[in-house]
Amino acid sequence: MEKEQKVSWKNNSIVKAVGTQRLVAILALLVLILFFSIASASFRQYTTFVSILDASYYIGFMAIGICFAIITGGIDLSIGTVLVCSSLISGTLFVRSGFPMGICLLIGVAIGILFGLVNGLMISKMGLPPFVATLGSMMVSKAIGSIFTSAQSVTWPQANQPGGWFRSIFKINITSASGSQILIPTGFLLLILCAVIMSIVLNKTRTGRYILALGSNKEATRLSGVNVDKYQTIAFVFSGMFAGIAGLAYGAIYSTLLPGAGSGFEMDAIASVVIGGTSMAGGVGTIFGTIIGVYIMAVLKTGLPFIGLMNYWQQFFTGIVLIFAVFVDVFNKRKKN
Amino acid sequence: MKRKILSVLVATAMVTTLLAGCGAKTEEAAAPVEEAAVEEAAPVEEAAVEEAAPAEAAATEGEVGLIYLVSKGFQHQFWQAVYQGAQEEAAELGVEIKMEGPATESDIADQVQMLNNAVNQKPSAIGLAALDTEACLDGITAAMNAGIPIIGFDSGVANAPEGAIFASASTDNYAAGVLAAEETYKLIEAKLAAGTKIGVLSQDATGESVLNRGFGFIDKMKELIEAKGLKVSVEGHAKFENKVDGADVVIQVAVPASVTAELMVVDAQNMLNDDSFIAIYGSNQGTAEALVTADENMDKVGPDGIVGVGFDAGTVIKEAVRSGKLAGAITQDPLNMGRKTVELAVKAAKGEAVEDVDTGCQWYTADNMDDENIAPNLYD
Repeated sequence: MEKEQKVSWKNNSIVKAVGTQRLVAILALLVLILFFSIASASFRQYTTFVSILDASYYIGFMAIGICFAIITGGIDLSIGTVLVCSSLISGTLFVRSGFPMGICLLIGVAIGILFGLVNGLMISKMGLPPFVATLGSMMVSKAIGSIFTSAQSVTWPQANQPGGWFRSIFKINITSASGSQILIPTGFLLLILCAVIMSIVLNKTRTGRYILALGSNKEATRLSGVNVDKYQTIAFVFSGMFAGIAGLAYGAIYSTLLPGAGSGFEMDAIASVVIGGTSMAGGVGTIFGTIIGVYIMAVLKTGLPFIGLMNYWQQFFTGIVLIFAVFVDVFNKRKKN
Repeated sequence: MKRKILSVLVATAMVTTLLAGCGAKTEEAAAPVEEAAVEEAAPVEEAAVEEAAPAEAAATEGEVGLIYLVSKGFQHQFWQAVYQGAQEEAAELGVEIKMEGPATESDIADQVQMLNNAVNQKPSAIGLAALDTEACLDGITAAMNAGIPIIGFDSGVANAPEGAIFASASTDNYAAGVLAAEETYKLIEAKLAAGTKIGVLSQDATGESVLNRGFGFIDKMKELIEAKGLKVSVEGHAKFENKVDGADVVIQVAVPASVTAELMVVDAQNMLNDDSFIAIYGSNQGTAEALVTADENMDKVGPDGIVGVGFDAGTVIKEAVRSGKLAGAITQDPLNMGRKTVELAVKAAKGEAVEDVDTGCQWYTADNMDDENIAPNLYD
């Protein structure tokens, strides 16, 4: 009898609706923002808020994509280098070959989809373990980016240069007559839109449900008559596609893409996904949690210098947060069993 | 049984490929090279000792073969301009050049590997812009022992062993930093007071060029400010630090944990958020671009606000200088650097005497960036 009344807060309807893991993540984000806001007056400015958003787009898009791959129980190590490769190639086509900007944007996403397709087919049809397959495509995409551009860097156009209109998809800075700036983080709207769409895909469509099922138990799902190869491939296509979109976001915010860069980006995305409550074992995960994870990482990255810590501390704290997040997840699972 | 046959076949294939590879190496090394000294050195494999080697190099006459350039990377367009200059000179002199660089300027291990590969190919001369001299020491020693002259370019090879580097074609990076400080000082002199700060964004703390541009700027700025009677403290990174208690002006140095745009932008934003900064200097293309990117949201850098000073060119920096956002930048002469490197390399390979060449630097602003002696260096 005492047992029933003991953990009453867990029976609270809000907690049940959101999920303990996600609630912890949301609370963690709020605590972080509160902490930095109190510790530093300059953190509380709107420009800081926009800067955090700017830095979050490329990780956010990557994280949405890789969430699907992780839900299938796999991993996609190639998203970082595919981001750079697609952005390098589409950027080069614009800057050096004179392709129209609109076409280049589509090509960037298409390159991401292509790599995703190759990854998916290698994993589902050829039976390669996801780690190995995407490790291989990571190296290949890194090289292809360099080969295509002859190892030269590419700088996407600035806002007032021809083709610079693509930046307004991610950020709009208007200088008013008085000289002050109005900052509109349109990329955030795009990120949330993508998150909402992909969340619906994951939870409400057959594709999403099959992806969750095959992540939970691939063999059982296959025996139920579902074409697991197709849906596993689709998950990796999503992963690649969003890496391509992330490449455009990176070009809009940071302008210059350097060949050979990119490995390491995927770690930020994976950390975001895991902090958000998606299990590496597969079968469980939410896009909402992933976005929260992305912003926990972005706030840490941008906020630590405000309290005087050099940015290598960001890696340290991100690691601690990641370990803690996984621990909460494991602890909860153990309690359930 | 099948498996055993298969494994024997695979093993045989591996061993054959290995032997073929070894054989091909020496053949390839000997083929393109016609120079007598290098042919004599060819049968020598890796770090074999050959005391007569420098003398052999001096005794050569005739054709110079391959000039192998190992740069710090190709990432920034600066290196493309160096390569262009090198190719132009090579075409004029009738020699073959190869230029390689690691994927990023953090990839010290990759550059060491490239240097070792270069030495193994037995070129007539090697050009080297070392990311980290200590790491390259083995390759440098191997080149010395094989009688291959090394010409330093850009960062050159700081603190190299005696006699290893025959000459260097580089910008005097210290002087470039000094020039940047002098020009910046003119613009901030009136604003200097107790509590003000000057920022220095340094891509790394290991490459000679970036270090010296930092030191040149910091030393000169400190000298100029102290002449005004104000105390200066240099803080932020152990390599540059020179803390003074109770200082009026602080020169704050920021070095990112690794060479990525995102980290450098965060460093710059951190400085821009602190209202006590009156000037920020980015000592290479990467950090100067990061400053411009960081300021996009904050709009604090400009003629009425924080004085921004950059280095090198590229579309982002050129645009910023032209619009007045960056007060100005230092340009090197990458085309000349490429040309001089090949010229010195060919001379050294022939055994002629060579001397260091300062390829020079200039301060450019919106007013003079189209002048005919500055514009060609401002690559895209």
